[in-house]
Amino acid sequence: MSDFREAQNQAHPNKTNTLMVGIIFLLIGIVGIQIWLLYGTLNNALSENQGFALAAAIGSFVFFFLALFLLKYLPDARGKSRRN
Amino acid sequence: MAYNSKEKETPNWKKDFPVKKDEATHVSRREFAKFLCLLSGGMALGNGIIAIKSFAFPSKELEGEHFICNTSDVAIGQTKEFIIEGEKNIPYLLIHLSEGKWRAFEQKCTHLSCAVRYNAEINKIECPCHKGFFDADTGTVLAGPPPRPLPQLSVHIKNEKVYVSAYKESKTIS
Ligand code: FES
Repeated sequence: MSDFREAQNQAHPNKTNTLMVGIIFLLIGIVGIQIWLLYGTLNNALSENQGFALAAAIGSFVFFFLALFLLKYLPDARGKSRRN
Repeated sequence: MAYNSKEKETPNWKKDFPVKKDEATHVSRREFAKFLCLLSGGMALGNGIIAIKSFAFPSKELEGEHFICNTSDVAIGQTKEFIIEGEKNIPYLLIHLSEGKWRAFEQKCTHLSCAVRYNAEINKIECPCHKGFFDADTGTVLAGPPPRPLPQLSVHIKNEKVYVSAYKESKTIS
Protein backbone atom coordinates (compact mmCIF):
# COMPACT_ATOMS: atom_id res chain seq x y z
CA MET A 1 0.00 0.00 0.00
CA SER A 2 1.24 3.44 -0.85
CA ASP A 3 1.37 5.98 1.93
CA PHE A 4 2.27 9.65 2.16
CA ARG A 5 5.97 9.05 2.75
CA GLU A 6 6.27 6.74 -0.21
CA ALA A 7 4.42 9.12 -2.49
CA GLN A 8 6.70 11.93 -1.36
CA ASN A 9 9.77 9.86 -2.00
CA GLN A 10 8.57 9.01 -5.47
CA ALA A 11 7.78 12.62 -6.29
CA HIS A 12 11.21 13.82 -5.08
CA PRO A 13 13.65 11.02 -5.62
CA ASN A 14 16.67 13.26 -4.97
CA LYS A 15 15.53 14.48 -1.60
CA THR A 16 17.78 12.32 0.54
CA ASN A 17 20.65 13.10 -1.75
CA THR A 18 20.20 16.84 -1.30
CA LEU A 19 19.77 16.47 2.43
CA MET A 20 22.90 14.37 2.66
CA VAL A 21 24.98 16.83 0.65
CA GLY A 22 23.62 19.73 2.70
CA ILE A 23 24.50 18.06 5.98
CA ILE A 24 27.96 17.10 4.80
CA PHE A 25 28.69 20.64 3.64
CA LEU A 26 27.49 22.08 6.94
CA LEU A 27 29.66 19.59 8.81
CA ILE A 28 32.68 20.51 6.71
CA GLY A 29 31.98 24.16 7.47
CA ILE A 30 31.78 23.43 11.20
CA VAL A 31 35.01 21.45 11.21
CA GLY A 32 36.66 24.25 9.21
CA ILE A 33 35.67 26.85 11.79
CA GLN A 34 36.89 24.57 14.57
CA ILE A 35 40.27 24.17 12.88
CA TRP A 36 40.47 27.93 12.73
CA LEU A 37 39.61 28.23 16.44
CA LEU A 38 42.15 25.57 17.34
CA TYR A 39 44.82 27.35 15.34
CA GLY A 40 44.00 30.60 17.09
CA THR A 41 44.09 28.92 20.49
CA LEU A 42 47.48 27.37 19.86
CA ASN A 43 48.82 30.72 18.78
CA ASN A 44 47.34 32.59 21.70
CA ALA A 45 48.19 30.06 24.36
CA LEU A 46 51.82 30.84 23.62
CA SER A 47 51.39 34.36 24.93
CA GLU A 48 49.20 33.29 27.86
CA ASN A 49 46.07 34.75 26.36
CA GLN A 50 43.79 32.62 28.48
CA GLY A 51 40.55 34.47 27.82
CA PHE A 52 40.77 33.66 24.16
CA ALA A 53 41.62 30.03 24.84
CA LEU A 54 38.51 29.70 27.01
CA ALA A 55 36.20 31.43 24.53
CA ALA A 56 37.51 29.34 21.64
CA ALA A 57 37.08 26.13 23.64
CA ILE A 58 33.48 27.00 24.48
CA GLY A 59 32.81 27.94 20.86
CA SER A 60 34.36 24.73 19.64
CA PHE A 61 32.14 22.67 21.94
CA VAL A 62 29.07 24.56 20.77
CA PHE A 63 29.99 23.69 17.20
CA PHE A 64 30.50 20.06 18.17
CA PHE A 65 27.01 19.87 19.63
CA LEU A 66 25.68 21.56 16.52
CA ALA A 67 27.36 18.84 14.45
CA LEU A 68 25.86 16.14 16.70
CA PHE A 69 22.45 17.76 16.33
CA LEU A 70 22.81 17.76 12.54
CA LEU A 71 23.34 14.00 12.58
CA LYS A 72 19.75 13.67 13.76
CA TYR A 73 18.66 14.74 10.28
CA LEU A 74 20.84 12.22 8.52
CA PRO A 75 18.59 10.24 6.16
CA ASP A 76 18.11 6.59 7.05
CA ALA A 77 20.20 4.05 5.24
CA ARG A 78 18.35 3.09 2.08
CA GLY A 79 17.82 -0.53 3.03
CA LYS A 80 16.14 0.42 6.27
CA SER A 81 13.68 2.89 4.81
CA ARG A 82 12.73 0.39 2.14
CA ARG A 83 11.92 -2.26 4.63
CA ASN A 84 9.60 0.03 6.55
CA MET B 1 20.00 -32.74 3.67
CA ALA B 2 17.68 -30.77 1.49
CA TYR B 3 18.54 -27.34 0.15
CA ASN B 4 15.77 -25.34 -1.30
CA SER B 5 16.44 -24.10 -4.81
CA LYS B 6 16.68 -20.41 -3.86
CA GLU B 7 19.47 -21.00 -1.38
CA LYS B 8 21.39 -22.96 -3.93
CA GLU B 9 21.35 -20.10 -6.37
CA THR B 10 22.89 -17.63 -3.94
CA PRO B 11 26.65 -17.81 -4.32
CA ASN B 12 28.76 -17.92 -1.21
CA TRP B 13 30.32 -14.48 -1.64
CA LYS B 14 26.87 -12.97 -1.68
CA LYS B 15 26.02 -14.64 1.57
CA ASP B 16 29.20 -13.31 3.09
CA PHE B 17 28.61 -9.73 1.94
CA PRO B 18 24.87 -9.22 1.97
CA VAL B 19 25.07 -5.51 1.10
CA LYS B 20 23.94 -4.28 -2.27
CA LYS B 21 26.41 -2.08 -4.08
CA ASP B 22 24.22 1.04 -4.20
CA GLU B 23 23.40 0.59 -0.53
CA ALA B 24 27.06 0.37 0.25
CA THR B 25 27.74 3.79 -1.29
CA HIS B 26 24.73 5.24 0.45
CA VAL B 27 25.97 4.03 3.81
CA SER B 28 29.42 5.39 3.23
CA ARG B 29 28.13 8.93 2.97
CA ARG B 30 26.35 8.49 6.28
CA GLU B 31 29.56 7.19 7.68
CA PHE B 32 31.43 10.16 6.25
CA ALA B 33 29.04 12.53 7.98
CA LYS B 34 29.53 10.67 11.24
CA PHE B 35 33.26 10.77 10.77
CA LEU B 36 33.11 14.54 10.28
CA CYS B 37 31.19 14.75 13.52
CA LEU B 38 33.85 12.68 15.25
CA LEU B 39 36.49 15.03 13.88
CA SER B 40 34.49 17.96 15.20
CA GLY B 41 34.44 16.30 18.63
CA GLY B 42 38.19 15.85 18.44
CA MET B 43 38.68 19.53 17.66
CA ALA B 44 36.48 20.56 20.56
CA LEU B 45 38.37 18.19 22.87
CA GLY B 46 41.73 19.55 21.73
CA ASN B 47 40.57 23.10 22.24
CA GLY B 48 39.25 22.20 25.68
CA ILE B 49 42.50 20.53 26.70
CA ILE B 50 44.52 23.57 25.66
CA ALA B 51 42.20 25.86 27.61
CA ILE B 52 42.35 23.65 30.73
CA LYS B 53 46.11 23.35 30.43
CA SER B 54 46.58 27.08 30.16
CA PHE B 55 44.46 27.63 33.27
CA ALA B 56 45.87 24.76 35.33
CA PHE B 57 49.54 25.26 34.51
CA PRO B 58 50.15 28.91 33.72
CA SER B 59 53.75 29.36 32.62
CA LYS B 60 55.86 30.66 35.46
CA GLU B 61 57.90 33.81 35.40
CA LEU B 62 61.62 33.46 35.52
CA GLU B 63 62.75 33.38 39.13
CA GLY B 64 65.76 35.12 40.52
CA GLU B 65 68.73 36.60 38.75
CA HIS B 66 70.88 34.65 36.37
CA PHE B 67 74.51 35.36 35.68
CA ILE B 68 75.26 35.51 31.95
CA CYS B 69 78.76 36.86 31.36
CA ASN B 70 81.17 39.67 32.11
CA THR B 71 80.51 43.02 30.50
CA SER B 72 83.87 42.85 28.76
CA ASP B 73 82.83 39.69 26.90
CA VAL B 74 80.34 41.49 24.67
CA ALA B 75 81.50 44.61 22.83
CA ILE B 76 79.10 47.37 21.81
CA GLY B 77 76.98 46.24 18.87
CA GLN B 78 77.74 42.62 19.63
CA THR B 79 75.41 39.95 20.90
CA LYS B 80 75.60 36.82 22.97
CA GLU B 81 73.24 33.89 22.91
CA PHE B 82 72.37 32.17 26.14
CA ILE B 83 69.95 29.58 27.37
CA ILE B 84 68.22 29.59 30.71
CA GLU B 85 67.65 26.07 31.90
CA GLY B 86 64.29 25.38 33.39
CA GLU B 87 61.11 23.55 32.51
CA LYS B 88 61.65 24.76 28.99
CA ASN B 89 65.06 25.69 27.73
CA ILE B 90 64.41 29.02 26.09
CA PRO B 91 67.16 30.57 24.00
CA TYR B 92 67.77 34.27 24.59
CA LEU B 93 69.78 36.93 22.85
CA LEU B 94 71.79 39.43 24.89
CA ILE B 95 72.50 42.64 22.99
CA HIS B 96 74.93 45.37 23.94
CA LEU B 97 73.27 48.33 22.26
CA SER B 98 75.48 51.14 23.47
CA GLU B 99 77.57 52.08 26.48
CA GLY B 100 75.71 50.72 29.49
CA LYS B 101 72.64 49.85 27.45
CA TRP B 102 71.85 46.16 27.38
CA ARG B 103 68.86 44.21 26.24
CA ALA B 104 67.89 40.56 26.43
CA PHE B 105 65.15 39.15 24.19
CA GLU B 106 63.83 35.72 23.58
CA GLN B 107 65.48 34.49 20.44
CA LYS B 108 62.40 32.81 19.04
CA CYS B 109 60.56 34.94 16.49
CA THR B 110 56.93 35.35 17.53
CA HIS B 111 55.86 34.48 14.01
CA LEU B 112 57.07 30.92 13.39
CA SER B 113 59.86 30.58 15.95
CA CYS B 114 62.86 31.17 13.72
CA ALA B 115 65.99 32.39 15.50
CA VAL B 116 66.20 36.17 15.29
CA ARG B 117 69.50 38.05 15.10
CA TYR B 118 70.64 41.56 15.83
CA ASN B 119 71.66 43.70 12.88
CA ALA B 120 73.94 46.41 14.28
CA GLU B 121 74.03 48.39 11.04
CA ILE B 122 70.36 49.25 11.11
CA ASN B 123 70.04 48.80 14.87
CA LYS B 124 67.14 46.36 14.50
CA ILE B 125 66.53 42.76 15.35
CA GLU B 126 65.72 40.89 12.21
CA CYS B 127 64.16 37.56 11.49
CA PRO B 128 65.65 36.06 8.35
CA CYS B 129 62.76 33.70 7.71
CA HIS B 130 60.09 36.12 6.51
CA LYS B 131 61.81 39.48 6.88
CA GLY B 132 60.33 40.37 10.23
CA PHE B 133 61.91 43.34 12.03
CA PHE B 134 61.82 44.20 15.71
CA ASP B 135 62.88 47.30 17.57
CA ALA B 136 66.18 46.52 19.29
CA ASP B 137 65.25 48.78 22.18
CA THR B 138 61.77 47.57 23.07
CA GLY B 139 61.24 44.42 21.03
CA THR B 140 58.13 45.76 19.31
CA VAL B 141 57.38 44.67 15.78
CA LEU B 142 58.46 47.21 13.16
CA ALA B 143 57.75 45.29 9.97
CA GLY B 144 56.86 41.87 8.68
CA PRO B 145 54.54 39.10 9.77
CA PRO B 146 55.33 38.65 13.51
CA PRO B 147 52.11 39.16 15.49
CA ARG B 148 53.61 40.00 18.89
CA PRO B 149 56.67 41.80 20.28
CA LEU B 150 59.62 39.70 21.36
CA PRO B 151 59.44 38.70 25.03
CA GLN B 152 62.08 40.48 27.04
CA LEU B 153 64.21 40.00 30.14
CA SER B 154 65.57 42.73 32.37
CA VAL B 155 69.34 43.13 32.33
CA HIS B 156 71.27 44.25 35.41
CA ILE B 157 74.93 45.12 35.55
CA LYS B 158 76.64 44.53 38.86
CA ASN B 159 80.42 44.74 39.26
CA GLU B 160 81.04 44.37 35.54
CA LYS B 161 78.87 41.27 35.44
CA VAL B 162 75.69 40.88 33.43
CA TYR B 163 72.63 39.39 35.11
CA VAL B 164 69.12 38.88 33.79
CA SER B 165 65.80 38.49 35.56
CA ALA B 166 62.10 38.50 34.69
CA TYR B 167 61.11 41.63 32.83
CA LYS B 168 59.79 44.52 34.86
CA GLU B 169 59.34 47.91 33.20
CA SER B 170 61.05 49.94 35.92
CA LYS B 171 64.05 47.69 36.35
CA THR B 172 65.28 48.05 32.79
CA ILE B 173 68.57 49.79 32.49
CA SER B 174 68.54 52.40 29.79
S1 FES C 1 59.47 33.31 11.60
FE1 FES C 1 60.18 35.29 11.92
S2 FES C 1 59.15 36.41 10.41
FE2 FES C 1 58.36 34.40 10.11
